[in-house]
Parts: sequence; structure tokens; C-alpha cells
Amino acid sequence: MSRLLRRLAVAGVCALSLWTGAAQAQKQGGVLRITHRDNPPSASIHEEATISTDMPFMGVFNNLVVFAPDAKQNRLEAVVPELATSWAYSDDDRTLTFKLRDGVKWHDGKPFTAEDVKCTWDAVSGKTESKMRKNPRKTWWFNIKDIVVDNPLQVTFHLNDPQPSFLVMLSGGFSPVYPCHVPAAQMRTHPIGTGPFKFVEFKQNESIRLERNPDYWKPGKPYLDGIEYSIIANRSTAVLALESGKFDMNITGELTPELVKDVQKEVPSMQCLVQPSNTQGNLLINRDRPPFDDAKIRRALVLSIDRKAFSDILSRGVYNIGGAMLAPPEGLWGWSKEFMATVPGYGADVEKSREEGRKIMASLGYSAEKPLQLKVSTRNIPDYRDAAVLLIDHMKNVYIQGELEPLDSAVWYARLLKKDYSVGMNVQGTGIDDPDVMFFENYTCASERNYTAYCNKDLETLFRKQSQTRDFEARKKLVWEIDKTLQEDGARPIVYQAQGGTCWWPHVKGLHLAVNSIYNHWRLDDVWLER
Amino acid sequence: MLTYLIRRLLLMIVTLFGVSVAIFLLLRIVPGNIADILFDSAGMIDPSEKQKIIADLGLDLPLPLQYWSWLNGVLHGELGFSYVSEKPVIDEILPRIPITARLAGLALVFAICAGVPLGVISAVKQNTKLDYALRVLSLSGLSMPSFWLGLLILMACVRWFGTIPIYDRAPASIWAWIAMLAIPAASVGFRSSALIMRLTRSSMLEILRQDFVRTAKSKGLSDNAVTYVHALRNALLPVITTIGVETAFLMGGLIVTETVFNIPGVARFLVEAIRWRDYPMVQNLVMFIAVVVVTVNLIVDLLYMLVDPRIRYSE
Amino acid sequence: MSATVPHSFWNNVSYNARRYPLGVAGGIIMIVFVLAAIFASAVAPLDPFNTNAKASLAAPGPVYLFGADMMGRDVLSRLIHGARVSLAVALGATIIGSGIGCAVGLACGYIGGWFDLLVQRVTEVMQALPLLVMALVITASLGPSLRNTIIAIAIPLIPSVARVIRSNVLSLREMPYVEAAKATGMSEWRIAIIHVLPNTLAPLIVLATAQLGSTILTEASLSFLGLGVPEPYPSWGRMLSESAAEYVRTAPWLVIYPGLAISLVVFGSNLLGDALRDALDPRQRD
Repeated sequence: MSRLLRRLAVAGVCALSLWTGAAQAQKQGGVLRITHRDNPPSASIHEEATISTDMPFMGVFNNLVVFAPDAKQNRLEAVVPELATSWAYSDDDRTLTFKLRDGVKWHDGKPFTAEDVKCTWDAVSGKTESKMRKNPRKTWWFNIKDIVVDNPLQVTFHLNDPQPSFLVMLSGGFSPVYPCHVPAAQMRTHPIGTGPFKFVEFKQNESIRLERNPDYWKPGKPYLDGIEYSIIANRSTAVLALESGKFDMNITGELTPELVKDVQKEVPSMQCLVQPSNTQGNLLINRDRPPFDDAKIRRALVLSIDRKAFSDILSRGVYNIGGAMLAPPEGLWGWSKEFMATVPGYGADVEKSREEGRKIMASLGYSAEKPLQLKVSTRNIPDYRDAAVLLIDHMKNVYIQGELEPLDSAVWYARLLKKDYSVGMNVQGTGIDDPDVMFFENYTCASERNYTAYCNKDLETLFRKQSQTRDFEARKKLVWEIDKTLQEDGARPIVYQAQGGTCWWPHVKGLHLAVNSIYNHWRLDDVWLER
Repeated sequence: MLTYLIRRLLLMIVTLFGVSVAIFLLLRIVPGNIADILFDSAGMIDPSEKQKIIADLGLDLPLPLQYWSWLNGVLHGELGFSYVSEKPVIDEILPRIPITARLAGLALVFAICAGVPLGVISAVKQNTKLDYALRVLSLSGLSMPSFWLGLLILMACVRWFGTIPIYDRAPASIWAWIAMLAIPAASVGFRSSALIMRLTRSSMLEILRQDFVRTAKSKGLSDNAVTYVHALRNALLPVITTIGVETAFLMGGLIVTETVFNIPGVARFLVEAIRWRDYPMVQNLVMFIAVVVVTVNLIVDLLYMLVDPRIRYSE
Repeated sequence: MSATVPHSFWNNVSYNARRYPLGVAGGIIMIVFVLAAIFASAVAPLDPFNTNAKASLAAPGPVYLFGADMMGRDVLSRLIHGARVSLAVALGATIIGSGIGCAVGLACGYIGGWFDLLVQRVTEVMQALPLLVMALVITASLGPSLRNTIIAIAIPLIPSVARVIRSNVLSLREMPYVEAAKATGMSEWRIAIIHVLPNTLAPLIVLATAQLGSTILTEASLSFLGLGVPEPYPSWGRMLSESAAEYVRTAPWLVIYPGLAISLVVFGSNLLGDALRDALDPRQRD
């Protein structure tokens, strides 16, 4: 079969399985109550990069395409239709045409058309001037040349180069379709979408409420009458509330593996999953300022890190160790164990690495009595602080004496921007387990999220090369080499790959979690309550 | 009396004006503003986009101009818009005030109902074992951090009842409110009750020593009548003043208690607003707190004068 | 009343000690904590900064007497080193605040006039805000650090000290022996230093000791909210907020011991302060 037909067939089969898969004894009704951790900065998914906004508000929207809910791994083969009923590539793979669903309405009654798709992606790719305050994923859409509305139910994306990951990026939770006719300011406070749930209210620091959309285009869905998120900042209070039955589940990835064990001991029937959250702890090293303008000191710092200790202490050994890409088996693009052993700093013998680090520092005149003094900056929240404390402890092994500088969010940000720091302990999440997302967002010279100004033009050529490679195995080899170079260069040393726990009562049915991302399965139109 | 009142009101206005300038300046001279925070949460640094927000919010205007536009708004009843939620500040603050007010009220009720009787008992039974025990108890109440007490209570609830009093949605009836706020109120009020107990005790002791009590006793009135009718009335005066002083301290206790018990009141909101550098919110909240404190002090002083006209205030 | 009591120093001390047993108890508690703070490195059984994955959340036992926190650090050692931090902050803030307040109060009492009125208004403004709120705004602006915490707690102390000193100075100036000194032609400066200042010391000491307790509590509250003393300095308040709140059920020792330490120190300083006030209060010197 030609590639095109094969793809349409896959789309059709997936769509069919969505419908049939849902034909069990679902009950209508009930409000799903979820504990939330942190006040969302706003309700507009396109303007935020945090799970705090993504999870609650994903139910308000639809994408063009999504990852099949029951596919545990978010990957290209699992992409299924949502607002797009089918799609087709041109022969040179530079044009992608979507046929759109008819009869879909926005929550305020206006009809959904191809114009809305064009508006959304023109705005996020920066082509049109939008009133969005922030646009964190502008770099995702670097490859869009033009978007053309063929007719109200068909839209075509013209790309500069072939990009297999393009469909993947459209499928994530961070890629909803926005309405043309609603201003950005309103999307931040009272968003309008086409999704299974309508926005009701958002009380700062308190709660978010959604109610069922009776005109949803999937007949019979959603099963829930509504969803309520209650913001409980103190994690142990939230866990206690969950255990006492006041809530049905907690916000995804919030619980440490330790807490999950605790919960399951208290309530043996509780369903829990601990999975990679695709967030990583990494170091931001300021290459423009002493002492880290000296590559030798950078290397010594990296050699002092005991990644296993981070994993053991922060998660009782559950966290993964890897490079920039999420490690297998959950991650698609991470190194194999054999390959990882060839990357400097990832060897099993930490003492040897530290010995090497000490030699380097000694040759520069430092010793245990006369260590290098510097400040380790980080955000003033527990996850960041704990990791920073560990880092300081490890740095002692190579004659570096660190003092923690916890910064309030505003100040942290401003200092990063002004490059007014020596080394920062950073925790960051990646929306989708995909190399285009990881590399272009964080490591290209022009990227705004490239805090350390790491710039390697040769590597960027390789970024583009892997972006256009269709064959999965060949592409994976390229990605491994790129990842290895990034670690060798000390671009942004990865210290741990986090896992997070999600727990829910057994009466909550139809929940699906992915193993390689926490951001993409919160439409919740399949969920029902067994009571 | 009237001249005194007018003087105090004028002083109040001058004080509040001073507070407004102080909080305004304090917020602006700090590093980091709302634009930085909004950007940090999204991981973005496009300088032109940040400039847009700054211009949008009027943060690039000269300071006196910003102050004037805020003050002007306040005098017209318009408190500005929150940077974070983009809703009017009033809409954010107003719904939260009753919650904190209820918590504070319950705490004060607890403090008085526990503190006054115990203080009286302690004074009457001075230097007995009971007195010492109560004094140690009140001292420990003043020594314990209220958030620690809150944490201990949470721990006890978990151990013995398996559940905790947390605020997950607005209670329906007044009894539900009381049930939900009882434990946090006790946690906050414990310290105040200790203070009130000590004060009641010491002022009772003073009164009991004084002549008129001895005279009354010699006239043959029963011990009980003397103690509880004459002495108590006089002993309550300094307690009333303390309530004024305690209000300020109560605010501090409310901040940490609302954090521990997850109550969405005004005090906890202040901490959040500070973290977000939400200037309109912080300014107005701090002004609100100052107004409350100053007003309570004024009312307490007036009450004091009314109850005991012998008191003169001369400065 | 006590005409027959000899006035040697030790006799005075033992006399007062017998009169104020609670004060002595408070004093002893304070001395223990101060000594622990000074000799922390010698007294603490283990290194408070050493992280140890295997000891994470260890229950109290032979090695970790008060248990270990999430990072495997010994709670007892952190408590002892924390005494150093908490007392340093409290003492620093009290001394700076009282010192400045005393100077301001003296100046008000002596210069009077517009200066006095201005300072009155300013202190009223400062007293209109609760201690914690002011300290909160100051540390949020300056950033959490040891130095900034001391500043943030010292500043709100100034107005109350200034007020007390001021009223003391005003009343002392009317005293007959001051008038007599003026009549003999002594300069105002000498009067101030020789007569007035020593007599303001007593209320100052009482006030300072009373404030000590609340400064320790304020530092604990600030650290609990994350806006006080940061890593690497161990702070009792921060120990309560960090892992304690998370592990209320599984590791109660993380909640009990730091809070106990705070309460004990404040208790001791309150006992001492009460006794000092009773002893130095002129009304009781009959």
C-alpha cells in the first residue's frame, strides 16, 4: 500500500477502536474530585508550560489529533483523530492536509471551522501579532512555512522541511485548537473550547470547576457531570484528604514514590501508578562568568555528581538515570544501558570520577582546606531545594564549597535572564517525549529557553538532520549521538529523570496514563464513576 | 471626649497614609516584578514580550505617578486589578474576608472563654499548686509556635480519628462552619488565651490588693460577691486593651494557621500575593490589615474610656 | 523592708534566686541552649550537613537519637546547630532593634519638638502592621538570607522600644535628682549619660528579654513559610516546614523535636523575662 493509504487506514482503525473500546457498562453522572497542587498562573494552555494549567484545562479543549488514550506510550503510531477526521501528506512530505469534523461547536455556540486552526497556529508560531502574554512553545513550530484554509472543513500546513514529529507535536496536551473570536485575555480567565467540559469558574488558590458539555460532538460523552479541582498546597494534607475519600484522585505525578507506598498501605484498594513524568533535574552552568568560564572546572563539577545518590535520596532509587532524552523502556529515545556506559560521567564508578575531578581542581590550586567558594541558586520550592542541597553535598568531593541561594520565583527568573548566577539547580518538564521538542526548545542557539547560551552550530545541523529522518532506528542512532555530545559538552548536565505517582480510588474508571509523559491524557471524556 | 475622637481619627488617617507610602515603596524597590514571574512560570524570555506586559500594567511609569494613580483609585473605591488573575482586587479580597473574620472571631471567643475564667481562678488561688500549673500552662501557650501546635493537632487527628479537618468546599450551615473552623481556631486562639489569662490574673491580683476591695470585704459582703462582681469588672479593663494589641499579633498567627489547615482566607492570600509580586493585591491587602488594626485599636481605646471615665489621655 | 540584707554580689544573687525560682529555671534553660549553640560542633554527635541515602527517614535509635530526616541528616545534630542560628538571629535582631530603638527614644526624649512628633507618627505607622506581616514583606523583598532575616525582624522591634525609652526619659527628666543636677550646672549631656541612661537600662533589659521570645517565634514562622533562614544554615522553623509537613504520619519525630526546641527556648526566655521584670519593676521594690 502507498504510504498515504497506509496512514489513512491506521487513522481509521484507531478511530474505530476508540469507539468500540468505549462500549462497556459506563455510568452517567457524578462529579470527579481531584486535588491540585499549585495555583495555575492562568487558564490558557498555550500561554503556560506547567501541569497546573495543562491538566485541569485540557478537558475544555480538543486538538486536531491526539494520542490514543489506551496507548501507554505517546508515539507517532498512536496518533488518532480528534477535530481532524483524517490527514494526508503530499509526496514530498512537506505538505500536510487535514480534513476537519463537521458540526462541531464552540462552547459559546459558534461553529468550529478551519479558520480557527489557522488562527491558533499563526498565533503560536509567531506569525501574527497576538495578545498572548507568553508563548513558551514558539520554537516547536519553527518548521511551519504557511497555513492555508482550503475550505471551512479543510486546512493545509505547508512545512519548510519534512518533519515526522510534526504530527506528534500536534497531539500533545499543549496543542489545543483555540477559537478565533475569543480574545487572549479571556482565554486566560474564562477559556472557550470545543471539548467535553465547559469552564465554570476558577477561584485563585482555591478551586477550578468544569461542567459537562451537553453538545459535545462525541455522542453519549462525557460520562461525568463535571470535574472539580481543589488546590491544596500542602502535599500531606492532600494525601490525607485523598485517603479519607474526600477526593477521587490527585493531580498526576504529584506523589513521590515514598508517598505512594504510604497511600497503598493505608488504602490497599487504591489504584496507583508511579511513572516517569518527563521532568528532569538539570544544572544550569553559567559559561560566561568565572569560575565556570573555565571548561576544566565545569568538567570537575560534572564529575562530582553521584546520579544514583540523587535517585536514591529523592525517590528511594526509583528515578531514572539518563541523558536529555527519557530513558527506556518508558522513553522512546533514551540511551540503552550499553551506550550510556560510553558517555563520560555516567560510568558506575563514582569514586573514580570524583578522584579525577579532585585531580583537576588540585591542578588549579584548590584543596580541601582551600575550596572554591560559590553560590548555588535555585527556586525556593522543596523539589528544587532538596536537589540543590544534594548537589552542594556532592560538590564537596571536588573541593567546591557551595552555599545555597534559594530565590523567589520572580527573582530566580530575572537572575537567569541577566545571567547573574554561577550554577543553578533547575527542574524542567518536557511536554512530549520527542527529540524535536527537546532539542529545539532547549539547545538551539536562538531558543529563548536556552538559558546557558550553549551554542554549537554543528550540533544544530544534526538537530535538523534527525528532525527530517523518517526511519525510526536511524533517527534514534542520531539522537543518541547528539545526546552524548550534549552531555560531554556539559551543555546542561542532567542529574535525574523524575518519576511521579498518581493515585485514584477504584470507582474511578476509564483513566489512562502514559508512561513517557504526564501532560497528554487529560481530556477525561472516557472517565466514569462506578457508584 | 469629642475632641479626642476627632484627634484620633485625624491621626488614623495620617498613619494610614504613611502605611500606604511605605508598602508602595517597599514593593517597588525590590528586584523582580510580576512580568518576571509570569515569564518564569512559562520558561520564556523574549524581552519584547516582557516589555509589552510591563507597559500594559503601567510598570514603566515614574513611581510617583504610579502611586498617585493607585491612591486616586482607592479614594474612588476602585482598588485596581490583580496582575495574576486579571480580576478586580475587590472581587478577590471580599469573598475571602468573611472566612478569615470567622476564624479570627472564633479564635477570640475561644481565647476569652478560656483565658478569663482561668485567669480569675489563678488569681484567686494565688501561689497554690493550681496557680503554678495554670501559669506554666499559659507560659507554654505563649512559647509554642502556633504552626507547630497546628501540625501537632493535625498529627493527633490523623492518629486518633484517621481524618483531618480540611477545607475542601464552602460549608453549608453555620454549624458546619463552626465544625470546620473549631480546630484551627483553637490552634490560633491558644496563644491569645494564654495572654489573656496572664493579664486577667495580674490585673485581678492588683485589684484584690486594693483598698476598696478590703473595704467591701469588711462591710461583710460574701467573698464570692466581692471577687466576681467588683473585682472582675475592673480587672477586665486591661484585658480589653490587650485585645487591641492582640489583633495585630493574631494576624501573624492566622497566616501560618491558614497555611497549615489550607483555609482560603485573606491572610494566606497575602503570602501568595507577595510571592507573585501582585502589587495591587499586596498593597490593598496590607492597607486592609492596617485599617483593621488601627480601627480595632481606636474602638478598644474608646471602650476603655467609656467603661472607666476616670482614665485621662493626655499627651 | 530588706534593711538587714547584706549587699555583696553573691548574697544578692542567692537572695534573688530564692525569690524567683522560675526565673532561675528559665535562666538555666537559656544557658544550656546558649552553651549548646556556642559549642555546637563539639556537642553534636554527627555532622548536620551529611546526606546519607541509607539513613533516610530513620526512626530514633542508637545512632540517630532523634531520628533522621529525608536526606538522612541527623535531627539532633541539626537541632543543636539550629540553636546557633536561631539564637544568633534572635540576639542579633534584638540587640540591633533595641539599640536603634533606644537611641531613637533617647533622641525623642531630649530633642523633642518636630523631631519627636515626626518619629511618633512613623512609629505609629510601623505599629499598625503586625510583626509577621512586616517581616514577611521585608524578607520577600530582600530575599531570604541570614542577614536579611535579622534585618527583617529587627526593624519592627524599633518602634516599641523607642516608645518605652521615650516615655521613661520624659519621666526621668522630671525627677528631683535630675533637677538638682541641672541646678548645680551639670550639662545636659552629662546628666543624660550619668543619670538618665542607667535608669533606662532596667526597662530596656526587661523589654529586650520579653522581645527575645517573640523574635525567636517570628524567625521560626518566617522560616516555616520559606522566607527566613535558608540552607545551609539549619533552622528549627524550616525543619518543621520541609519534610515534617510531608511526613506527619510516617515520621512524627520530624515534627515533634524541632517544635519542642523552639517552645523550650521561648519558654525559658519568658520565665527569665518574667522574673527580671518582677525583680526590676520599681513598683515591687517596697
